[in-house]
Amino acid sequence: MSGQDRISASVAVKEGQAVCAACGHDLGPATKPWKDHAHRREIPLALAGGQAYDTGHEGVLLRHFYCPGCAALLDTETAMAGDPALDDILAARG
Amino acid sequence: MDPMTFSIIRHRLFRIVDEAVITLKHVSGSAITNEGHDLMVSLYRADGTLLMGGVGFLHHLTSAAEACKSIIRRFEGDIHEGDIFLLNDPYTAALHTSDIYLVSPIHHEGRLVAWSACFVHVYDIGAVNPGGFAPQAPDIYTEGFSSPGIRLVAGGEMRQDVLDTILNMVRSPEMVTLDLRSMIACNNVARDRMQSLMTKYGAKEVDGACAELVNQSEDLFRARLRELPDGQWQSRQYLDVNGDTARVNLTMTKKDDRLIFDFSGSDPQSPYSINCTKWASLGGLFAPLFPLLCYDITWNEGVLRPVEMIAPEGSIVNCTRPAPVSVATVGAIQSVNNAACSTIGKMLGASEKYRNQSTAVWHANHFAIFKFGRNQKGGDSIGILTETFAGAGGARSFADGVEIGGEIPNPISRMANVETVEAAFPVRYLFRRRAPDSGGPGEYRGGTGGELALVPHKAPDGGINYVISGKGSRHPMSEGLAGGYPGAPNSYVWVKAPEDGANTPVTAAGGLDAISGTQERVSWGVYPLMGRDALYVRWNGGGGHGDPIVRDPEAVRRDVAAGLVTLQSAGDIYGVALRDGAVDETETMAKRKSIRSARLQQEASE
Ligand SMILES: [Zn+2]
Repeated sequence: MSGQDRISASVAVKEGQAVCAACGHDLGPATKPWKDHAHRREIPLALAGGQAYDTGHEGVLLRHFYCPGCAALLDTETAMAGDPALDDILAARG
Repeated sequence: MDPMTFSIIRHRLFRIVDEAVITLKHVSGSAITNEGHDLMVSLYRADGTLLMGGVGFLHHLTSAAEACKSIIRRFEGDIHEGDIFLLNDPYTAALHTSDIYLVSPIHHEGRLVAWSACFVHVYDIGAVNPGGFAPQAPDIYTEGFSSPGIRLVAGGEMRQDVLDTILNMVRSPEMVTLDLRSMIACNNVARDRMQSLMTKYGAKEVDGACAELVNQSEDLFRARLRELPDGQWQSRQYLDVNGDTARVNLTMTKKDDRLIFDFSGSDPQSPYSINCTKWASLGGLFAPLFPLLCYDITWNEGVLRPVEMIAPEGSIVNCTRPAPVSVATVGAIQSVNNAACSTIGKMLGASEKYRNQSTAVWHANHFAIFKFGRNQKGGDSIGILTETFAGAGGARSFADGVEIGGEIPNPISRMANVETVEAAFPVRYLFRRRAPDSGGPGEYRGGTGGELALVPHKAPDGGINYVISGKGSRHPMSEGLAGGYPGAPNSYVWVKAPEDGANTPVTAAGGLDAISGTQERVSWGVYPLMGRDALYVRWNGGGGHGDPIVRDPEAVRRDVAAGLVTLQSAGDIYGVALRDGAVDETETMAKRKSIRSARLQQEASE
């Protein structure tokens, strides 16, 4: 990857490592799933806050991925229980 | 070719498409075309490849190219000046049977030089359910009239026997006639203008400019791809039909100047009509790609060349005949739209140069509610609730999404006036407004969707019925970016009036809970709207961008004051405390600190 790339607005890349954009906490190589190094919380969507998320159905989940260093919310995913995390990775540039 | 002539020809092609769209709208009388802009007009080269993609629903640009190509194969040696062909078979090229393509060869001095193609969602196609979306169809055979290619106009003359055969199979044939005639007029204008362009500049010169235009688009798109980081981005969309969940999984890989969309791992084709064919999936992924990656590049065959799609046969994104597909445009095709919008948004967000062009997913849960029945004038009406086209903008990396801001796959989508609907149907709106908490929370909030309630009004039969279909209302689909939440899901509620007494008067401030009666969620099938019952609909907002607890508290205060965010969400999600209509800064800091420490107490990912 080029020196200026990042993974997202919340996950930066520094010397090939994914890092929290807010505090610089290391989240592993940018060529590997950074979510493996984040705190993960999974809650029913209905409890995510506000009435509009309550569809009256269980089993629909909202996943949060937090920075272990500063607790910034780095990413969210909607999911059903057991579905794998979505991985976003940058390729190594040869 | 000298650059001035090239530029003039390029702009003339744009204008030809524009003028053809105007013609289509002037002749058509249906709300879905005129108000919802559920239409498309484009120009194609002599071999059927895309030359100039027009506006309207962009997932049609590549499918109509396939329609032109299949007409060329089927009618080889028998294509004449002034012919117009009809094609609406989804297993040949169309998205679903009710989106009819009319494709016209364009001749100059006796030689086939180009094609024009357009579509509208026709008033009815004779499927098991009125309006074309058929939740009760078990297969393609019950989804109405379907042709892999038939000559509707021969040498400028309507083939009346063919037209009569089609009209014999549809409800409201007079409205379907108008739809077909609007498309014929549209193609006639496109053909006339293309012919005069060729007369002025020479057919060879124009075709040379077209070839150059295609190559230019390819070069520009490949150059843009090379500027973007190499990597792999994933997205997943859920569809619900009566509790059955289906998944569309996407891994988008960008390598140098190539882009691969891989839908491996998506669920097998469904028994329900939410499936789509491979041509539809291809159109589905290009719909967000054109405006997000090629906003300054002419939409043509050149943009297609660097892109590859992998869609497993027999899956929900590449179903096999005779799987039903009539709900595809608000089913799997839109899931493909959304998944591609999400991965493209992530890729743009990873780029130093293009990060400000990344967007969370817009209005992801397009729905189809077709009202049908006897109207207040004694005639029959069929029509979609065009609010589904009103949409909601996804948040950007620097700004909130636009409230009720449209949708990515159709840059000109919009909704009908309340009065237009009330004039055509025996119904009254109790309210229509922006829906609180529908926009996905984030540092930048997703644009809100809307909500509305309808009741019967002066209906000769006591009310009407409606067909509802789509992807259900269980799952949020407008995914957020970089920590932004998804937009809230859709909601469809049948409010059954109490046995005794009148309904509570409804004010705009009251919303769903101000309508008295028992509430039943609906999302798939045919339902009545009779007597004093009401139908409540909320459509989703756009996805948010960034962590909600870093949103400017003053922006949250404004949202609450405007009724776009509730007090509860301001506190629970944004960590903002309001007192007497103002931000309580001390309390807000404490709230946000406590949200942060609660986060760190969660278990680490294994
Ligand atoms: Zn951090």
